[in-house]
Amino acid sequence: MKRKLAVLCMLSLTAVTVLSGCGGSKTNQDTAKDGKTKIRFASWDVAEDVDRQQELVDKFNLAHDDIEVTLEAYGQDFDTKISAGMGSGDTPDVMYMWNYPSYYQGLEPLGSFIEKEGESYKANFYDTLWNYNSMDGQIYGIPIGFTTHTLFYNKDLFQEAGISEPTNDWTWDDLQQAAKTISEKTSAKGFAFPMKPDPYDFEMYLWSNGAAYCDKEGNLEGNINSKESEEVFQMFQDMEKEGYAVATEKSGTDEFRSGAVAMYVYGAWSINSLKEDGLNYGVVAIPAFANAGKDSVSILSSSGISISKDSKNKEAAWEFVKFWTNEESNKARIGLELPVLSSVVESEKIMDQPEYAPFYLMLEQSTGYTSASFIIKEWSELSEKLSLSFEEVFNPSSLQSVPDVLNSAAQK
Amino acid sequence: MKQKKFIRNATPYFFITPWIIGFLVFTIGPLILSLGMSFFDWPLTSDPVFKGFGNYTEMFTKDTQFWKSLTISLKYAAIFVPLNMAIALFLAMLITQPVNGVKIYRTIFYIPAVISGVAVSIIWGWILNGDYGVLNYLLSLLGITGPRWLVDPAWALFAVILASAFGVGTMMLIFYTDIKNIPIDLYEASSLDGASPAKQFFCITLPIITPTILFNLITSVISSFQQVTLVMLLTGGGPLKSTYFYGLYTYNNAFKHHKLGYASANAWVMFIIILILTALIFKSSSTWVFYETEAKNGKKKKGGKK
Amino acid sequence: MKMSMKSKVIIYTLLTAVAVYFLAPFIYMFFTAFKTEAEAIAYPPRLFPSKWLFENFKNAWQSQPFGTYLKNSIIITVMTTAGQIISCSLVAYGFARFEFKGKNLLFMILLSTMMIPWDVTMIPQYMEFNLFGWINTLKPLIVPAWFGSAYYIFLMRQFLMGVPKDFEEAARIDGANAFQIYWKIFMPILKPSLILVGVLNMITVWNDYLGPLIFLHDRSKYTLALGLATFKGIHSTRIIPMLCITIIMIIPPIIIFIIAQKYIVEGTSGSIK
Repeated sequence: MKRKLAVLCMLSLTAVTVLSGCGGSKTNQDTAKDGKTKIRFASWDVAEDVDRQQELVDKFNLAHDDIEVTLEAYGQDFDTKISAGMGSGDTPDVMYMWNYPSYYQGLEPLGSFIEKEGESYKANFYDTLWNYNSMDGQIYGIPIGFTTHTLFYNKDLFQEAGISEPTNDWTWDDLQQAAKTISEKTSAKGFAFPMKPDPYDFEMYLWSNGAAYCDKEGNLEGNINSKESEEVFQMFQDMEKEGYAVATEKSGTDEFRSGAVAMYVYGAWSINSLKEDGLNYGVVAIPAFANAGKDSVSILSSSGISISKDSKNKEAAWEFVKFWTNEESNKARIGLELPVLSSVVESEKIMDQPEYAPFYLMLEQSTGYTSASFIIKEWSELSEKLSLSFEEVFNPSSLQSVPDVLNSAAQK
Repeated sequence: MKQKKFIRNATPYFFITPWIIGFLVFTIGPLILSLGMSFFDWPLTSDPVFKGFGNYTEMFTKDTQFWKSLTISLKYAAIFVPLNMAIALFLAMLITQPVNGVKIYRTIFYIPAVISGVAVSIIWGWILNGDYGVLNYLLSLLGITGPRWLVDPAWALFAVILASAFGVGTMMLIFYTDIKNIPIDLYEASSLDGASPAKQFFCITLPIITPTILFNLITSVISSFQQVTLVMLLTGGGPLKSTYFYGLYTYNNAFKHHKLGYASANAWVMFIIILILTALIFKSSSTWVFYETEAKNGKKKKGGKK
Repeated sequence: MKMSMKSKVIIYTLLTAVAVYFLAPFIYMFFTAFKTEAEAIAYPPRLFPSKWLFENFKNAWQSQPFGTYLKNSIIITVMTTAGQIISCSLVAYGFARFEFKGKNLLFMILLSTMMIPWDVTMIPQYMEFNLFGWINTLKPLIVPAWFGSAYYIFLMRQFLMGVPKDFEEAARIDGANAFQIYWKIFMPILKPSLILVGVLNMITVWNDYLGPLIFLHDRSKYTLALGLATFKGIHSTRIIPMLCITIIMIIPPIIIFIIAQKYIVEGTSGSIK
């Protein structure tokens, strides 16, 4: 018996040594038989969008004799796949990226590559976007798309209630008035917001009212539970309590699409579905807080394209990144993403399109803010805790007192 | 002669060789590596740092979510396992009834187990939505205000159980196959003796399928502790973390917070808990599971064999 | 066995009630697949589509290379099922019908392998397969099945434990060796449970998407389940194509199940008597 156990232990030990040794030294299959450099490119897009991306990739492959890019698409499970890849030392060479605080240690800093391209390359991108693709002053991704949040409204419901449509100058008081009227005069609710908002997104309301989750050192106390911050949470909770706003289980998109609510705040992600539905909707800037004395601010959800630290062919990867971020590709992806190059926005007259322009207006209004996710080291865990706190405020079966929740959140 | 003896001794090992090879090649390495990982701080994107029992002490002393998630999973297992088994056995009995058209019912009962988990969770999400869901709409037609299934913490666990009971078909099929294997003459003999269907169930069917009951018990305890996909897609662990199952907790630690070492420690604690539960069930099984191979000894006579 | 009218009524009532619970979500899903996306989320919900969009299915199938996915799914499913049936019955037979040194320990180890969640062994496994050069091939999804999985071995063992001892004793007197006994006597008796293992494995593999997600890279290697899962994006889900593919995907397992049912039932009159 004992001998058998010993053999078993030996075997497993060998297995472990072999395995742990392989983490660093992967099998090298980067150059195929035809001498082409293979580049793996991972995207999070779904279904038909992937086909459009594939066309672009094919175009790149045709133009390059020495590089072959393969597209991999993982949809919602993108993060799981990338995490598994990074953990096993087998990350795709090039990948879409948004969550830099979590991943930047596995990514290649791009500063030197960008420098080589000259100043005009960098200057063509909207400046604010760089902050969202950097970590500790280093650029880890080239912007490929972004969205700010805006107020979506259902024109038909406004007409039915007989009130005038929202404008870019609205304050929350205007929104509340309209929401009340709509809830009374139509079968729909006036406004919807998520009962479990993503803390990353929600900070924009605090910014709009002159507050933030934390200061530059990452202290929550005195910031997340400041008077201005409380006002924001209290306003949302009151709207829900008074019955003309509904706290939705998900983002609120489904409710808005089905005409069950007249207004909600969201990114550009839903535009394609709304168009497909043929919904009669409009987009304006997020309302401002009347007492804050400034324009409303939006969070930026930015997507970039990054190179893996482990990539064996960084030059070839950069070649592809350049292609993916050039004007032509930006144009080709309109509809998938909002273009990030000011030259493309101009040449395609994006600002003349009423469903896109407000997103750029919000972008302009939102310079100079740093999301707590870039300040606080353990953001991912804190975010989970904050998310629970926010839900305690907004979940209709709890609706806890705002000061209590925020004061205890400040201690986390 | 000696050779013959060797062959006889080696025969059982010959039969289990495939598994042993598979275990040594595919399983043991990753298993031990994950145990090793649990003593490291490994943020996935950079190199692991050794921290001894740090992950374990943190889990037991500092991490309140660990205890909460453990309680939720225990509660879920305590409700779900017996309930699911009772339903599965009941359905298995139902589809063995010799009535016309039972074959169609059998297929219908099995359909939900065939549907992919992603679609199941989307459908249940629609059905159970509090304000705009189908179920509450139907209830409102009857004049009932349905609960906010996925919003009210008091109902959410129940909603998850309701949705997971949808997949009962697998277990039902296992019971069914076993019941179908019981020789008919046992029943015929006992009905000549005038035994009622209920008596037949308790004296013939139940004792004979105890090995399968043991199987279903153990595997469903394991799977209820590992439940991730459904809660992740249906409730996301909410509302107010009331369905933040242990499996989801481990998964999020690994892939959301990138604390792979910590997640490994979570997993190994869960392993120990399941192992103890399994060992207890096995210990107790000698009193209630009847194997034909052991029945020879005479003392465990089956009801049907008199 | 004759059944009274009363018990028949009870049985049919029960059968129908359960069928409604199981079918209702499925039927709702089925009709929704023909709607537009806007109609699918409309409130109040309606069961029937206002216009039957049969082209939804065609569009869904063409939105990704599902033909290729189907081929891969079939390869994996067939290959693993064959492997599981052969090796699990061998191993289970070893555990159920013999006494040998270390049996209990080995069996406990076998059971333990089910208890560690895949989340944490996945990355070490990935490293191992990467070392073998198997990443981005179907091998990691097929080869391990040929060495048996604990779940099915345990299941088969439980069935085998239920077979009376006299069986192999009689055969042994006739001079049959262990393998002959396994092959000639036990395989026929076990046919229903072998088929059960086959059906269960088929459905698990058919629907598994985490394995393919982690071990495959190229779309040319994807399986149906993985293609289905990628309709769910981070910010939006393509509900309608997802439902269409789901419906298409359950047809093969249902057919297999209907065929398998016959053999499972045949076990009743089988040789066990």
